[in-house]
Amino acid sequence: MSPKLLGERIKRKEDPRLIQGRSHYVDDIQLCEMVYLSFVRSPYAHAKIKSIQAEAARKMPGVLAIYAGKGLEGRLGLIPCAAGLEGLKVPDHPCLALGRVRYVGEPVAVVVANGRYQAADAAAKVEVDYDPLPAVTDMDKAVAGSPLVHEQFGDNIAFVAKLEGGDWKAVEAEPSVKVIKQRLINQRLAPLSMETRGVVASYSPGEDTLTVWSSTQIPHLLKTQLAVMTGVDEARVRVIAPEVGGAFGSKLNVYAEEGVACFVSRQLGKPVKWIETRRENLLATIHGRDQIDDLEIYFQPDGKVVGLKCHILADLGAYHQLLTPAIPTLTALMILGCYNIPAVWVETTGVFTNKMSTDAYRGAGRPEATYVIERVMDMVARELNLDPVDVRLKNFPPPGKDVVLATGVSYDTANYQKTLKKVLTLSGYKKLRGEQARLRKKGKYLGIGLSTYVEICAMGPSSRMPAGGWESGTVRVEPTGKVTVLSGTSPHGQGEETSFAQIVAEELGVPYDDVTVYHGDTNQVPMGIGTFGSRTTAVGGTAIYHAARRIKKKMARLASHKLGAKPGEIVFRDGKVESQDGSKSMKFGDVVGEAYFAKQLPPGVEPGLVENYVFEPPNYTYPFGAHVAVVEVDSETGEVSLRNYFAVDDCGRILNPMLVDGQIHGGLAQGIGQALWEEHVYDENGQLLTGTLMDCAAPRAHQFCWFETANTETRTPVNPLGVKGVGEAGTIGSTPAMVNAVLDALQPFGVRHMDMPLKPEKIWRIVTRGASETA
Amino acid sequence: MRIEGSRQLAAPRETVFQRLMDPQSLADALPGCEKLELQPDGSYHTTLKVGIGSIKGIYQGRIEIVDPVPPESFRMKVEGKGAGGFLKGEGRVSLAAQNAETLISYSGEAQIGGMMASVGQRMMRVAAQQIAHQFFEAFARHLALTLPSTSLPEPDDSRRRNSS
Repeated sequence: MSPKLLGERIKRKEDPRLIQGRSHYVDDIQLCEMVYLSFVRSPYAHAKIKSIQAEAARKMPGVLAIYAGKGLEGRLGLIPCAAGLEGLKVPDHPCLALGRVRYVGEPVAVVVANGRYQAADAAAKVEVDYDPLPAVTDMDKAVAGSPLVHEQFGDNIAFVAKLEGGDWKAVEAEPSVKVIKQRLINQRLAPLSMETRGVVASYSPGEDTLTVWSSTQIPHLLKTQLAVMTGVDEARVRVIAPEVGGAFGSKLNVYAEEGVACFVSRQLGKPVKWIETRRENLLATIHGRDQIDDLEIYFQPDGKVVGLKCHILADLGAYHQLLTPAIPTLTALMILGCYNIPAVWVETTGVFTNKMSTDAYRGAGRPEATYVIERVMDMVARELNLDPVDVRLKNFPPPGKDVVLATGVSYDTANYQKTLKKVLTLSGYKKLRGEQARLRKKGKYLGIGLSTYVEICAMGPSSRMPAGGWESGTVRVEPTGKVTVLSGTSPHGQGEETSFAQIVAEELGVPYDDVTVYHGDTNQVPMGIGTFGSRTTAVGGTAIYHAARRIKKKMARLASHKLGAKPGEIVFRDGKVESQDGSKSMKFGDVVGEAYFAKQLPPGVEPGLVENYVFEPPNYTYPFGAHVAVVEVDSETGEVSLRNYFAVDDCGRILNPMLVDGQIHGGLAQGIGQALWEEHVYDENGQLLTGTLMDCAAPRAHQFCWFETANTETRTPVNPLGVKGVGEAGTIGSTPAMVNAVLDALQPFGVRHMDMPLKPEKIWRIVTRGASETA
Repeated sequence: MRIEGSRQLAAPRETVFQRLMDPQSLADALPGCEKLELQPDGSYHTTLKVGIGSIKGIYQGRIEIVDPVPPESFRMKVEGKGAGGFLKGEGRVSLAAQNAETLISYSGEAQIGGMMASVGQRMMRVAAQQIAHQFFEAFARHLALTLPSTSLPEPDDSRRRNSS
């Protein structure tokens, strides 16, 4: 028997080459006569460009050309925004600033030189004379209207979107209903992929072809956009995403530097390379989050929440990147979490400020929603002196039933009670509460925090996605019997070379090692959308599954023709294609031979064995889970130490538990990082103060405990594999669990809420203030 | 970013004020000063070579003395820019006579931008204080050398007094 593959802990095919440093990233691409770019960036958050003097830079060794915004005008298209919201204001977003800069780090000019260091040295010699203008970085001030980021709009409001549902009159008429008002701040974060961005663009004048290597999550979408921006016929543009060292949404974009690299290569007829420095990465790669949520929580004395109102202010930054305005709309959509709250009112205001654009960062709008609703549950519990577990149970919809919430969202199959029960058992919740009470008497502060999240992923039905939400998969059985798989997804750490090989090997009954998965090359993979929104396995994996089924159908037809059996009775097992009882049998490779040598094909059957399938998902999927964080807060220093973390996640059917664990672990690190340490800070003049890894406080391994993970498996009916998606779950679930834990520890100090990150200084102030007030 | 401090100088107030208005004395004392030229409008054009942590570079700047009230006080406007970013500041310097000596106090507000801000914010205040300290150290030495009746100040002693 061939070993069972799906559901097994199978080691990643990707790891040997990654661990040994034998893989190829964009910066490993070396082409003959390659030249290098270095960008001159604005040191001002808002200024007029009076003049640009490049004479001194031009005389520097190795310098070939220098371009500024005017030199590109009309010759290179604008940076695209795909989000189509009603009434959305979309400012022109040129690849190099034209006349005015609107955030620190905005590219103003580019230097092309023979060497990377020559380009950087010369860029430092480009003199830009600015006339500084007042900048706006605070969202409340930006909404109030001055100063203006884009004068032509007359205000700083990019869009206002409303979402309302339920019977508010009934909620407000009920005399027993209490109301809490609270402002929550979800701070700006840097996505911080290990590999920074980078692009190599190579235009061949003879062939009139443009080949682009980019560290991207969306090679196919990038290909289309670069063709539009550069004017090169799309059939002559090829985009390759080689090994991509992490992205977390930050490479789900079309960036200025990609456009400029293509433009310069076309101008000079030479291959061009640009590799982002870490400083540039922190300044000019999209940021995540940055939301203010003003809440009104309506609840009854028994803990039942009957209504939620939320004003969302979303800091979009100065310009729209690919999906910038769409991200906060996901917060509104998911704001009720997994709770049956009968009335909802959300108004989302997208705000322009003099900062780098925000866009998708792991979770993309859903961590903000989960943070809101999970803090709501804890605030209600605190107000009523109830256990947060009981408040959650009070508000869950009944298990196993599809519910349509007041937001209009219809979640697929779920059992929130089951994951909660499992995490309470796993963590020994009751015991922990006992320990907490004992320690408090000794002046030690243990905190236990819960989060029972639901998220929306497997993005998504094309009707809801700006550029389509389908995914393509191709399976080709080669003449030797080895199997090639092509996916339109573009993984960058997810491990799909492993999981997709598992799917195909299991379906075809061939050895796992015989299956090779390719992705990321638009000349190899016929069409694709990419990897984001926890969609790769649920949408891309399903396409692969269907393509493999089509291969089987054809092979069954070939085998039955040869064996004189019915196609319906053919099975694939142990490298054989045979009748159910095994009496009529052919080797897998012999059936492949039939297809390629094409001597006795059944009538109407084409030679060869290649099948493509494009999967259009009928709906999103809604993974859910329950997390418990246990922290100790040092009342003398304010320091939080994470003692235990328990995560029970339901991402539907699990194809490879090791990959699921890996996603959860990484997600937890980022979510916990936001709760305790990370923030990307601008000062009031729009200067980024956290421009190094030391300042923006990315967490390190030693700051975490061992994560105890477990799963429940509730299969989704949305795709035949039953998989939901897990890429963002850890991040979404963990931030509120951590904050709830710290505030639980601080309960004796009478603090209802504190904004993230919960750094020792903030806690110390609360603890010392609280202590002096009670003394 | 706020910068402030004070320094005792072993010279009469009038002399200190006059030397602070003298481009050559300033240029001699200003750390990393490669050029300090008086412009027709009364401001100075300066070239400074400054290194703060990893941000080393040459900065072009303009220094303007405003509202001088000899020998009591003046205000100072500073603007500079270079590959590491830009600096803009305004401050007030006042001189108080203490017998034959002078207590000089300075306070100001500086705005920095670009790489200096994103990379150097944490150390910028300390670095600015250090530059001010170095300046007055050198300025005191300059006074001592050019005023024969006074002696060289003790560096350690002065650091202690300046460390508040």
